Amino acid sequence: MGVPTRSIVRAGLIGGVAAIFIALVGLYTKFATLELVGEQITLGRLMIVAPALVAAYAVTRPRIVAGERRVVSLRDGLIAGALTGLGTGIVFAAGTWFADLFGVDRIREVFISVTDELIAFLTFDKGIPGGLVILIVICIVGGVVGGFVRTAPEPIRKPAAVGVLAVLLFGLLQRIVPIALVELGYDADWLYRAGSGLTVLGGVVVFAVAAIADILWNRGGRRLKDRVRQTTETAPAARLGLFLVLVAILAILPLLLGSVISETLGQVMIYVLLGLGLNIVVGYAGLLDLGYVAFFAFGAYTTGLLTGAFLNTTTGAAQPALSADLNFYVAVWIVALLAAGLGLLIGAPVLRLRGDYLAIVTLGLGEIVSVITASKWAQPLIGGPQGMRGVTKAEIFGLNPQDNPQHFYYLALAFVLLAAFVSWRLSTSRIGRAWTAMREDEQVADATGISTTKFKLLAFAMGGAIGSLGGALFAVSIGSLTPASFEITVSITALAVVILGGLGSIPGVVVGALVLIGLPGLLREFEDYRPLIYGGALVAIMILRPQGLIPNVRRTRELAEEEVAQDAWAGGGPSGEGEAVAAVVPGGSLGGEREDLE
Amino acid sequence: MSEPEHLLQLEGVAKHFGGLYALSGLSLHVDEGEIVSVIGPNGAGKSTMFNVITGLYEPDDGTIRFRGDGIVGLAPNRITKLGIARTFQTVHLFPNMTILENAMVGQHCRTRSGVLGSVLRLPATRREEEQIRERARKALAFFGSRLAGYREDQPAFALSYANRRRLEMARALATDPAIVMLDEPTAGMNPRETLELRDHIVRMRDELGLTLLVIEHDMRVVKGVSDRVIALDYGRKIAEGSYDEVANDPQVIEAYLGTKAVG
Repeated sequence: MGVPTRSIVRAGLIGGVAAIFIALVGLYTKFATLELVGEQITLGRLMIVAPALVAAYAVTRPRIVAGERRVVSLRDGLIAGALTGLGTGIVFAAGTWFADLFGVDRIREVFISVTDELIAFLTFDKGIPGGLVILIVICIVGGVVGGFVRTAPEPIRKPAAVGVLAVLLFGLLQRIVPIALVELGYDADWLYRAGSGLTVLGGVVVFAVAAIADILWNRGGRRLKDRVRQTTETAPAARLGLFLVLVAILAILPLLLGSVISETLGQVMIYVLLGLGLNIVVGYAGLLDLGYVAFFAFGAYTTGLLTGAFLNTTTGAAQPALSADLNFYVAVWIVALLAAGLGLLIGAPVLRLRGDYLAIVTLGLGEIVSVITASKWAQPLIGGPQGMRGVTKAEIFGLNPQDNPQHFYYLALAFVLLAAFVSWRLSTSRIGRAWTAMREDEQVADATGISTTKFKLLAFAMGGAIGSLGGALFAVSIGSLTPASFEITVSITALAVVILGGLGSIPGVVVGALVLIGLPGLLREFEDYRPLIYGGALVAIMILRPQGLIPNVRRTRELAEEEVAQDAWAGGGPSGEGEAVAAVVPGGSLGGEREDLE
Repeated sequence: MSEPEHLLQLEGVAKHFGGLYALSGLSLHVDEGEIVSVIGPNGAGKSTMFNVITGLYEPDDGTIRFRGDGIVGLAPNRITKLGIARTFQTVHLFPNMTILENAMVGQHCRTRSGVLGSVLRLPATRREEEQIRERARKALAFFGSRLAGYREDQPAFALSYANRRRLEMARALATDPAIVMLDEPTAGMNPRETLELRDHIVRMRDELGLTLLVIEHDMRVVKGVSDRVIALDYGRKIAEGSYDEVANDPQVIEAYLGTKAVG
């Protein structure tokens, strides 16, 4: 037997509990009728299979036995998967049965999603004993699929997995893709059923196209990618060309995608700006700032004040106590400059704090700003609880970013490119080096000649300036500001974007924002479950890929590559004595906890 | 009374942690071009002395002068910029930065390009960056091929223990110092590496024209390199002079071997 029985039992139990959890929070009932492919494959039904599938996938992973990595064979994988599915199914069915015996109405007093419909859905309308058998069988099937996906030979399982994921994605994007296709002047009746998911034919086609694309990619794509990388590394002109192509694609994107997606992309880019700014503070300089919303709020309200917005009052619109009537494109630079000043102001009192203490204090400072925005005290200036409206539309060259999401996209894109450029240049300069050294070991950086005071303040100022641009754009995009937009969730979300993407990585921030802001924006059905998805995504990333989705090179330097270079060198060159020690203990005394310098 | 000016001079320096006197009334000096070794049993206050000189700890009493100017109360980075570089007893590198980058950080305090220059990559900034790289390479080259070539782009954590020590010294050299303070540079090295390092210490003075203040336990190294030896115990100077004088000083022998049992 390739997989230990204990692991199977445990995985089955966990799968079952996960399934019951999903049922209790109401995901099944919510998505019972969201059809993905045809009429039968709904998201709710897929979710019945999912716990068993994931549990089986996890339990059939390669294990290290007595220092040797052992891959589970396909036969063992299928058996272990089926058994795991059986375990999951039994726990799940037992839970369902218990709910029915105990009384749905009594459970609903606590878990409001537990209804007769839920029981009926889980038993496939076949009543309690019979339906439960079906439920268990379905879980076993899920387990077998999970085991198969992990243990089947790579040339089969990878294209199959890619195909299934593509079908899922297209099924979920059922409200977006058809609209986009129609806007392109292409009728996609055969692909999507009206107002619903993929047709069966559509599902098959999407699966086939994705699977074939994956196979082709494995045949020649890797080589192509390496070649492109090589060319761009040797020829700067090629790099510029690649960059221009990228910008060109970004420029025509809103025309292809229509206004619904453009609006979401605009929101994504606001968070890309926040992420880029926070990335300087947290990712480059290693200062954990939990009060980043302060800069977002500051950027938004200052933009309002500088461009002549009105206060909302109970008696109508009023002029703020202090305001100007500048053009947005003039005002925004003043906003950034002022925000840099605010960064110094926030940075100064926390200079001596590190780690947890810094996080707590910045959390408090952020909260202060949130409270001020909502306070009566600040009402004459920024409108207090009623907020302000009439923020500039930032019209330029006939574009109207406030009312037209496609136009806003271009405005936001310009700012994102600028911010990304600035943070990239900073990170690869003397300043970036100083930040990295400070993050690695503050005391030693100081003793090596880096003024930690100066560079901490600089990080807060630069991070604050870039973050305030996000706030300025936000103000333009919605035109009116209320305190509800400036709560602690902004700080948390921005931090989640940075961490999910990979600390210190600019592409990581973009991907993080796309995943955390873009996907929920497109999949409005998931709106209620956004915190659940954030939590799940962060837990998953911390376990599976702690360095983030697109990590900073420095954080993932693979020792393996270095070892090869080292061996090659040691073989031909003079002494390489002592090198093996470092290879065995990566990081060694350096990577571990730091002792005092004594 | 015109006293001859010393490069580094400590006068009556005291430092205590709670009730423990790590240094009390310590006075010593180092002259330009000297190699001075500091010896003493564990806990004698040698590393504390280094930390006090480099600004990591502020002394409770006494003055420290570098080229005649008081440096007590300056931030560590300011002291480094004045020309005092150091290594640590337990190696402290920037483990995830490459070897070249580690050395480049050393050049930080000698360069000045700011935000605008870095973002726009002005010609002056580019020249400066090139110069930083060049000088960092020069510092690494002091240790021959051990830190050069392909190794430049390796992360510091991938280095062997001895090479980490060398890199830490190279980083100190890259700060263009006048005096280099080495805290037990041969700790944990094998006999061959220790011999090599002894040569390096001498070369730092002879070829680079540096002054060195070295904490060392290996008496062969101390004997081989020192112009002068200072022995500490309980935070006080108990002996000073040539190696032979100090090695035969009864107080030093007592500090190392303990008091004779009175019987």
